[in-house]
Amino acid sequence: MKTSGLRQVVGPVGWGVGTTLVLSVLILVGSRNLAHFDAALVGYTFSVLFATFGLTYRYAMWLQRPPTAMYWRRGWQAFFRRGWRRQNAGVWVRRVGTDLLANRFIFARGRLRGLTHMLIMWGCLIAVAITFPLVFGWLHFRPVPGDLSLYEAVSFGFPAFRFPHDSVMAFVLFHGLVWSSFLVIAGVMLAMRRRMREEGAAAVQRFAEDFMPLILLFAVSLTGLMLTASYTWMKGYAYTFIAILHAITVIGTFLWLPFGKFFHIFQRPAQLGVSFYKDIGRTQELAHCRRCGHAFSSRMHIEDLIEVERQLGFQYDIPGDDAHYQWICPRCRRTSLAMAQGALWRGKRGGAPLAHGRPLPMPVHANPARGQGPLGAEDADNFFP
Amino acid sequence: MPVPDALEFFIDPGRCIGCQACIQACTECDTHKGQSMIQLDYVDRAHSTQTVPVVCLHCDSPTCAEVCPADAIKRTEDGIVHTARKPRCIACNNCVLACPFGVPKMQTEMNLMMKCDMCYDRTSVGLKPWCASACPSQALAFGTREEMARLRPHAKPVNTFQFGMQTIRTKVNIMVPRDSAVEIVDVTAAMHEPTIGHEMLDDVFEPGPDRGDA
Amino acid sequence: MDGPARTTETTPSLDRETIAQFGPHLAYAKDARLDSGVEPDKYVKTHCCFCGQQCGMQLKVKDNLVIGVEPWYEFPFNKGMMCPKGIKRYLQQAHPDRLLHAYEKDTASPGGFKTMAYDAAIRKTAGEIERIQATYGRDAFALLSGASLTTEKTYLMGKFAHMCLRTANIDYNGRLCMVSAGAGNKKAFGIDRAANPWDDILGADVILVSGANIAECAPITTNYVWQAREQGAKVIVVDPRITPIARTCDLFLPVKPGRDTALFNGILHLMIEHDWIDQQFIATHTVGFDAVAAEVREWTPQRTAEVTGIAVKSIEQAAEWWGTAKTSFLCHARGLEHHSHGVQNVLSAINVVLASGRIGRPNCGYATITGQGNGQGGREHGQKCDQLPGGRDLANPEHRGYVAGVWGMDPADLPQPGVDAYEIIRKIDRGEIKGLLSLCFNPVVSLPDNNFVRQALEKLEYYAVIDFFMSESARYATVVLPGSLQEEDEGTVTQTEGRVIRINKAVECPGEARPDWQIIQDIAKALGREQGLAFASPGEMFEELRLASKGGIADYSGISYERIEKNFGVFWPCPSEVPDGVAMPGPQGTPRLFEPGSWNPVAKGAGPFYFPDGKARLNVTAYVGPAEDVDEEFPIILTTGRVVSQFLSGNQTRRIGPLVDHCPEPRIEMHPRLATRLGITDGDWATAESRRGNCTLRASVVTTIRPDTVFIPYHWAGRKSANQLTISAQDPISKIPEYKVCAVRVRKADAPPAYADSLEPQQ
Repeated sequence: MKTSGLRQVVGPVGWGVGTTLVLSVLILVGSRNLAHFDAALVGYTFSVLFATFGLTYRYAMWLQRPPTAMYWRRGWQAFFRRGWRRQNAGVWVRRVGTDLLANRFIFARGRLRGLTHMLIMWGCLIAVAITFPLVFGWLHFRPVPGDLSLYEAVSFGFPAFRFPHDSVMAFVLFHGLVWSSFLVIAGVMLAMRRRMREEGAAAVQRFAEDFMPLILLFAVSLTGLMLTASYTWMKGYAYTFIAILHAITVIGTFLWLPFGKFFHIFQRPAQLGVSFYKDIGRTQELAHCRRCGHAFSSRMHIEDLIEVERQLGFQYDIPGDDAHYQWICPRCRRTSLAMAQGALWRGKRGGAPLAHGRPLPMPVHANPARGQGPLGAEDADNFFP
Repeated sequence: MPVPDALEFFIDPGRCIGCQACIQACTECDTHKGQSMIQLDYVDRAHSTQTVPVVCLHCDSPTCAEVCPADAIKRTEDGIVHTARKPRCIACNNCVLACPFGVPKMQTEMNLMMKCDMCYDRTSVGLKPWCASACPSQALAFGTREEMARLRPHAKPVNTFQFGMQTIRTKVNIMVPRDSAVEIVDVTAAMHEPTIGHEMLDDVFEPGPDRGDA
Repeated sequence: MDGPARTTETTPSLDRETIAQFGPHLAYAKDARLDSGVEPDKYVKTHCCFCGQQCGMQLKVKDNLVIGVEPWYEFPFNKGMMCPKGIKRYLQQAHPDRLLHAYEKDTASPGGFKTMAYDAAIRKTAGEIERIQATYGRDAFALLSGASLTTEKTYLMGKFAHMCLRTANIDYNGRLCMVSAGAGNKKAFGIDRAANPWDDILGADVILVSGANIAECAPITTNYVWQAREQGAKVIVVDPRITPIARTCDLFLPVKPGRDTALFNGILHLMIEHDWIDQQFIATHTVGFDAVAAEVREWTPQRTAEVTGIAVKSIEQAAEWWGTAKTSFLCHARGLEHHSHGVQNVLSAINVVLASGRIGRPNCGYATITGQGNGQGGREHGQKCDQLPGGRDLANPEHRGYVAGVWGMDPADLPQPGVDAYEIIRKIDRGEIKGLLSLCFNPVVSLPDNNFVRQALEKLEYYAVIDFFMSESARYATVVLPGSLQEEDEGTVTQTEGRVIRINKAVECPGEARPDWQIIQDIAKALGREQGLAFASPGEMFEELRLASKGGIADYSGISYERIEKNFGVFWPCPSEVPDGVAMPGPQGTPRLFEPGSWNPVAKGAGPFYFPDGKARLNVTAYVGPAEDVDEEFPIILTTGRVVSQFLSGNQTRRIGPLVDHCPEPRIEMHPRLATRLGITDGDWATAESRRGNCTLRASVVTTIRPDTVFIPYHWAGRKSANQLTISAQDPISKIPEYKVCAVRVRKADAPPAYADSLEPQQ
C-alpha cells in the first residue's frame, strides 16, 4: 500500500529539520552563544548537523514502513503496559546491559566476532563521548585561575571537576582519542581479517556495505593517531595537512551514517521493543495452526501480521474456514507444499493419501538436533511468540 | 559474482527418502558452517515415511523481506534472497511466520534469522549448492532446464504458487507432471491433504480379535 | 539352549570404565573443520568407506587433518552425490577415541588396558601364534578379517593365513553380508558379481527391488531408481516394511519375513502359466528349466498368498508387469539373503530373471546390492575360508597349484578349506581354536546370538585385535594393535557394480598406529616367516594380486592403478591377455556380464555364462521356512536391518556426532495394531525377548511395518544390541546367519533399562 509520495516525505523532512534545529539550539546554549565554540571545528559541527538531519529523516521514513510502524507502536504499548511498567523498566535496564552494551548475542555468533564488535563499538562510543561535547562547545578544559598545576573541566558553562595537569588522569583524559582509536583499529583489523579469510563472508560481502565502513573507521582512527604523532614526536610536522585529512575522513563518516551499515546503530535498539512484544505474546492468547491444531505464535502477532501484509498489498486470504494463510504454522506450510505437489502426481506414482481425521498431525523435524534441525528454541518448539 | 542464469534449482519432494544427506551437506556450507538451513520434516511418521525437504524458493518479491521491520533481508540482482543482515536483524520472527513456504530459521540466542542462500559461496562461482550436490534421491536438484528435461521426460518445472488469493513467483522450481495443465501449484488447495504412501492392507493378514486400526 | 537366562551383563562396571576411556565418544566439527577461512593443502580424490557403493568424494586435507569433504562431480557412479555418512565420515579421522598405541589387557588399569610398545605387542602376538600353533596345531589359531578393507589387504590376509600361518581357519565378515548372493550367483551364473552396471537400471521397464532398503542402505541407488521411473519404469518393492523407496513405488509387496522363495516361485508359476517367458533364451542359454517349472507348478497365486502374506492381486500384478516387460532390472540385498535359506531365495529370484531372458543386454539386468565398504572386492581374493585369489577355490587342485606357484610354495603346504566365521566362534567355544587375530571385524556386535559370542571370546588363550578404535570386541582382546583408517592408507576397492576403484591416502597414521598391512607383515617378520610378505607398498601387493588372479574368474590382471585413475575405475573381469580372436575388454573393463558372444575363461567361448557349456543354471528352489518360526510362546517375527546414519557395528559411525544425532538409539518398530494389543504406545520402553536374549528399547509405533513383525536396527552394542536376540541358524551353503527372521515376544517394559541413566545413546 503506497501512501502519496509527497506526504510520505513531508513528515520525515519535518522531523529531520526539527531535530537538527533542536541540536543547533543546544549547541548555542551549551557553548554559551558560541563563546566556547572552537571555530576550527566548525566543519565537524556542520557535518554532525547534516548527519542529524539525515538520520532523523531516514529513521522517520523507516518508521513509516508498515511492519516497522506496527512494531514501533506495539513495542511502546508493550513497554508501557499497565501493571508491567516497573518490571519492564528493570528488564529494559538488564537488556540494554546484556544486549546493547555487552553484545551477548554477537558473542553467541562467535567469540572473536563478539570481541571484534566490542572493540569497534566501544572505540567509537568513547570517541564520540569525547569529541561531540568538545565540538559542540559543551565541554572545554581550562587552567584553574590561581593554581596553574590544575585543570578544570567546564560543561555547558558550568565548572565540573578539577585535576592536576600532570596526573595520570590528565594523561588518560587528554589521550582518550588515542585509546579509542587503538580499540577501533584492533577491531577493524579483526573484522578485515575475517572478511579476507572466510569463504562464507567473501561470498556475500559487498564493498559499499561491508568494506566501506571499515575503511572509514580505519581512516578516521589512523589520521587521528597521526595528528597525535605529529605534535607529540614530530614537532607538528605536516600537522595542518593531517588535520584536514582527518577532518575529511570524519566528515565523510558522518555523512555516510544515515545510508550504510552505520544506520544499524540507530536501528538496533528496536530489538528491545521486539523483546517486550514477545514477552506479551507469551502471556496472551495463542494462535493455533488451522492445519495441525498446535499453538505456534501469539494471536496478537498473527493478527498484526495479517494487518501488515494487507497494508503491504499481499492477499493471503483463503476463502472458507481457514480465512487467512497466516493461520497456518511454518511446519504445515512446508508440508502443504509437498502435499500440493504430491497431489499433482497422484495416479502417476504409487501410494495414495492415507485418510485421517482433522486436525492432521503436526509435522516434526526429521533431525531435532540443534544446528542440524532447528537452530534455536523457537524453531525446535515451532513457537514464535 | 551473480549466480548464473542458466543454472536453476529444482525440487521434487516426492523423491525425498528422508536420508538427511541435505542436512549434513548444508552444515558444510561456508556461509553458515556448522548449521543446517534445510527444513526437513516428517509429515506424519506414525503412518508414513514421507519427508519434505524445503530449501528457500527465493521469491521474486519475498514476503519475508517485505514484512521485515528492520530492512534486514535483501534480494540480490540474481534473485537470491539472503540470510538476514546480521547488524540489522532484531529476531522479531515476522519472516519466520510470514514466509509462505516456512523457510527461515530463528537462532534466538544470536538474535538472528538465518536461511538458505542457495550456497551463495558455491552457486556464485557456478558450482552446485551443497544439498543438491549430495542429495541421493535428487529430490533437490540443480542444473540447467535442458538437463532436467532430458533426465526427467515426464516432469516439468513450475515456479508459481497460489496461497489463497496470493500468487507467488519464485526462482526455484518444483517438479510437476509434464502432461498436466498445471501452471500454478495451488498450495492452500491441498493444505488439508494427509500424507501419501502405500498402506499395509488389512486383507493380507490373518484376521485377529482386534483388527481395528489404531 | 534354554531360556533367556544367559543374558548376564559382562562386568558392567569395567565396561563403563572402558567406555569412559575409549569411547564411543562423539566428535563434532570444530576449529579448522568449522572455520570457513582455512584453505585446504590438498583435495584427495578417494571413495567413501561406508557401504558397498563407495561413492567418489574428495577429502579436504590441512596439516594431516581431514577438515571436510567436497563432492567429486566427475565420478560417474555418484556424480557428487553422497549420503549423510559420506559427508560426515571425515569426523572419524583425528577422533579423540583413536588408538594411538598398542594396548594390552590389564585389569588394574583404567578401562582395563595399559599401553604397550608397538614392537613388544608384535613380538607377543608372534610368540603366542607360535606357541598356540605348536601346542594345539596350526588350525588352532584363527583369523577373522573384514570386507571393508582394501582389496590389497584382503589379499594379504588370505596369503598370511594360507602361506604364513598355514591355518585353515580364516574367514571374514562378508560371511554376514554377501555370501548368499555370492553362492547363489556362482550356482546360477558361475560368477559372483553384479551382472550389470547401474546405468542399466535407467531405461528398464520394470525394476524389482527385493529385500533392499535402498533409501537407507544404498542411498545413491535411489537416484537411479527414480530416474528410471521418470523415464517410465514401474518400480516393484518387496519388503516387510514400507521403506522410503517403497512409499511411492508402483507396487508394494509386503512379504512376510523369510518367505521370499515362495514369492518368486509364485511369480514364476504365473509367468509360465501365461507364457511370459523367453522360450528361446531358456532353450539356448540355460539348463534346468523343466525341473524348476515342475517345482513351481504347485505355487499357485493362492498358495503363494497364503505363505507370503501378500494379496493375490498384488502377486498377479507383479508377475504380469515382470512377465510382460521388454527390459527389466532385478536387485536384491540382505532382506533376501540374510536367511537360513538365503541361497535358495537368491536362486529363486535369479530363476525369474533367467526365465524372462532379460540379462546380458542393455537395460536388462540383475544385481545384488553390496553392503560393505569393499563387499565385492573383499570376497574375491582369498580371505574367505574356502577361497584363493581371483575367485579361485581352495579345494580345487588346479587352483591350488596356480596360486602356490605365484606364491612360490608347495601346493601341498596350502591348508584345506576351513570353516566359516560363526563356526570359528563355535570352535573357539568348543576349545578347538585357542588363538584369534581379528581385523575389521566386530563380532560381539555383528554376529547373531552375541551373548554366545561373548562367552566364546572369553575362552580364548590369546586374542589380538587390529583396530583404529577400541571396538566392543577389542575389549575382549589380550592385545590391541593400532591399525589404519581407510583415509590413512591406499589401495583399491571394488564397488557394488564390480568397478575396481582407487582409495587414495589422505593423511598419515597418527602416533604408533600404522597401515594394517604393515602390522600383518610385522607379525610375519617376528615369526621369521616373512617370505612373500615383505611388500613395500599396496601397489606391490596389487601387482602380485594381478598375477594371482590372472586366469581366474575374478581376473584383475589387466587392471593397473593408472588405468583405474584414467577411466574412473575398471570393471573386472579384465584379463591382461585373451585367446586369439577374442576381443579385449575396453578401457573400462567389462561393465556388463553375459553379453551375447562374450568370452570367459570357463566357457571358453561356448556361451556367455561361466560354466563349461556357457549356459546359466536354473536351480530348483523348494520353499523352506525360517529356522525358527513363531509359535505361541514367541509369537512375533523379529527382523533386523540398518538405518541410514549408521554403518555395520557402528564402531566408526557411533563416534560421529552428527550421525548419532540423526538416530541416537535403536527403537523397536511395531505396527499400532500389535502395539495396541501389547499395551504399548509410541516412545514407551518395550522389551523384546527371544530364546537367546532380551533387549529393552523404546517403541516406535508406525503403520509402515507388518503387524506380525517387529524391526530393530543392529548397529548398537551391549544391551542395545539387536543381535542378543537373533538366531545363529545359518544357510547350509553360504553359512550366512538368519538375521532377518527369528521368533520373539514383546511386552511393555516394567522399568527403563539400567543403561538408560548410565550410558550415552551411542555407547
